[in-house]
Amino acid sequence: MASAANSLRLCLRSCSQLPTMRAARPAILASSLCLRRALSTTPLRGAAAEETTFDEDEFLETKRYNNQGEVLADMLKREDLDDADRARVKDMLETWNKVPQDVRDQIDATTRQVRQSTAQIRYQVKPKKASFWNDDEKDTDMITDEVGEDDFEEDDILSIGHAKLEEHREAREYARIAVWEMPLLTKFARPFEPPTEAQPLRFRYTSYMGEFHPAERKVVVEFSPKDFPGLTEPQQLKLMKLAGPRYNPDKGLVKMSCERFEHQAQNKRYLGDLVQKMIATAQVSIPLGPCLCLDPTDMFEDVPLDTRHHKLTSKPRFPKEWRMSEERRAELESIRRTAFELDQKKQKSGRLVDGVKIIEKHLQNVPVMEDQPVMARRVGKQPARKR
Amino acid sequence: MSAPNCLRCLTRPSTAVLRHSIAVPNAVASWTASAPFSTTATAAAGPTKGARPTSQPKRMETGHIRSGRRVTISKSKHRKQAGARGKTPLPGERKAYRKKIQLSNSNALHVHWLSDLDAKHMLDAANVTKVMGLPDALVDQLRAVEAFKPKQTWGFFRKPSTLIRPETVDLVTRMQQAATDKQTLKLVLDGDKLTGKSILMLQAMSHAFFNEWIVIHIPEAQELTTAVTEYAPIPGTDPVQYMQQNYALKLIQNIRKANEKVLVRMATAYSHPEIPQQMPIGSSLMQLANSAKEPENAWTIFMALWKELTANTRGRVPILFALDGLSHIMKVSDYRSPAFELIHSHDLALVRLFTDCLGGNISLPYGGAILAATTRNNVQRSLSMELAIAQREAEQLGAEKPLRQAYIRGYDHRVEAAMRAAQVIKVKGINKLEARSLMEYWAASGVLRTTVDELSVSEKWMLSGNGVLGEMERASLLTMRI
Repeated sequence: MASAANSLRLCLRSCSQLPTMRAARPAILASSLCLRRALSTTPLRGAAAEETTFDEDEFLETKRYNNQGEVLADMLKREDLDDADRARVKDMLETWNKVPQDVRDQIDATTRQVRQSTAQIRYQVKPKKASFWNDDEKDTDMITDEVGEDDFEEDDILSIGHAKLEEHREAREYARIAVWEMPLLTKFARPFEPPTEAQPLRFRYTSYMGEFHPAERKVVVEFSPKDFPGLTEPQQLKLMKLAGPRYNPDKGLVKMSCERFEHQAQNKRYLGDLVQKMIATAQVSIPLGPCLCLDPTDMFEDVPLDTRHHKLTSKPRFPKEWRMSEERRAELESIRRTAFELDQKKQKSGRLVDGVKIIEKHLQNVPVMEDQPVMARRVGKQPARKR
Repeated sequence: MSAPNCLRCLTRPSTAVLRHSIAVPNAVASWTASAPFSTTATAAAGPTKGARPTSQPKRMETGHIRSGRRVTISKSKHRKQAGARGKTPLPGERKAYRKKIQLSNSNALHVHWLSDLDAKHMLDAANVTKVMGLPDALVDQLRAVEAFKPKQTWGFFRKPSTLIRPETVDLVTRMQQAATDKQTLKLVLDGDKLTGKSILMLQAMSHAFFNEWIVIHIPEAQELTTAVTEYAPIPGTDPVQYMQQNYALKLIQNIRKANEKVLVRMATAYSHPEIPQQMPIGSSLMQLANSAKEPENAWTIFMALWKELTANTRGRVPILFALDGLSHIMKVSDYRSPAFELIHSHDLALVRLFTDCLGGNISLPYGGAILAATTRNNVQRSLSMELAIAQREAEQLGAEKPLRQAYIRGYDHRVEAAMRAAQVIKVKGINKLEARSLMEYWAASGVLRTTVDELSVSEKWMLSGNGVLGEMERASLLTMRI
């Protein structure tokens, strides 16, 4: 047992620096020992030492004091104490000695009592070795005691019912929003203002409601070359030719888009600048800014407007004139009546031509063919055939 | 029993098959086995060897018992079924059948109220909607210039006759006007398929023959450009032009046959050293036309004849130069030059003559008409021709002229130049009044077995796409439902 006692001593010494922490966090202490000397065999031996029956109280009793008098008396024994302190300690000891004996005993008893009652929480909780993943360990952090919590007490509806209720609650919540809060949005409503003549460009943006999307940066601009009041007709034509396949001859609109830059605003700015450049190029007389072609006076008169990119499809519609109306019905009726009367009149006068009757009449008048003349028979016996 | 000649395939069942099919009633078994009204199946099936009734074995092979026995010399067991396929038509027989023009049908009834056309009828607007017969002399002339086409329905009626339409009166009046003013009428007849463009040409030719014009007619322009007739470069032309001697010979013969009466009267005004025969000035044009006997000099003689006809001397008459199938000459032809490049149609001399006339490069001193009809079947699209026709139409209506599409290739300036001066008549369907008149004529001829009243007229008129003539014929005459 000598080696066991020795190891115990060593272990205790190592943790003697934190006498107050031991009681509070015994498990951490043990683990910290392991961490500190991972390759040492000492913790194992230490752990083995802990298994031995060791009365901690008895061991620590030597250093513990039951009252102030014992503390002061102990202090006087220390040699590193200077004279002034020593005199003060002596004074205090004298004062203590004047305390009546019964009070001293009472203080002693109280101190012992407190120590004894708190001794239990100072003990280290030992994990049971046989347990599976410390299954039976008490969870001291839990507020509830977990006992019988999931038991159905026959006093509640099922979880499906709860879910249904939740659904109702949600619907009601939105209904409340619709009724009470949505109408308040009208405060922010602004009347539609049609774009003025000074705003010929129509931009289109795409929003994904705050979500990131690669197409969010894209900006599309549409404009009609005829909407620029400063442009003459040949200039408008030049603008259309500059736009190339972006010009839709059916609608008379130029449509361009940009998603080259990271932000919507940058793309919009680019488009705006581009339109500005195109207009400047189309205007020969007043070149406003940078020009798109080499010779700004060239009006592309020798280049016909190319619309091959666009297929004009005419969708046949039911003509308005063909719609049946009361007047049309009456008109048809009168046409039919006239036709009928005409036929009647022709029939009465015998001028109605009937193909079948004509053929029949003709067949009656055809001279009947004479019967075939009967040929005279050959008289006499036929010569027998040679077989 | 069916007709001896199958009308569709021209095959004639051989005598063996006929005999076989007559003998069939004796063989009860084969009767029941094959279709009773068809000779084909029986012929194709051959003698039923396995299921042959044993009681009458010899009759099956030899026909009637009295017809005797044939001695078979060949010992081959696989005897050929003689005439199983019928007799195949001889070379050229199919084409002759296809090109056959029948102008009369003795089975059709005589229409007693039908009157013959004369010189003034077609000028009178009162005759519109009337059906009128073509006199025999005119029919001969029209036949000579090949004015009748094989697919037209002349063969249904006893006598060729034609409906006078407003377009007829319009065209003929213009022609008459041109002749009196000694101007050249240049006119293109355009319209949808089967609307009667060729018939209108025929009527114009009738008018010309009545008034003793010279009529030159190219009945199928595709014969000139689809590389079916011989061609040769004309020496001394730059750019090279090509003559079609065989066609020229045929054309001269047609002209001679049709215009005999007029040609005899006219005398030559030039001596023609280029033609082999001596042709002193003052000999008749008939003589000149007769001198074309072989293709060798046909083109030279044709040009000599043309020079004489268009000479500005006394005694000349207006000319009607007509061509059917204009789209075929308004494109690059299928002929190849010695360098193996495709020849433009307008480099063919005869075609060029026509296009020069149509474009106004050649004017006729005594007036006349240059008439062309487009064709809508069997043609490549000619963009320039269509555009030119649309432009002329727009000009006539005073509407905005359509222009070339900028980015489409395939326009041809030569075509547009050739059609710059032409007028256009758009031939459309007939109206109901004309339709009724026509149907009454059909019924009177015994080929339409219905009462011609408003109902039936409307029905046929509607069925034919608002009175497209050819479609009306299809709906009433060419249908098998009687």
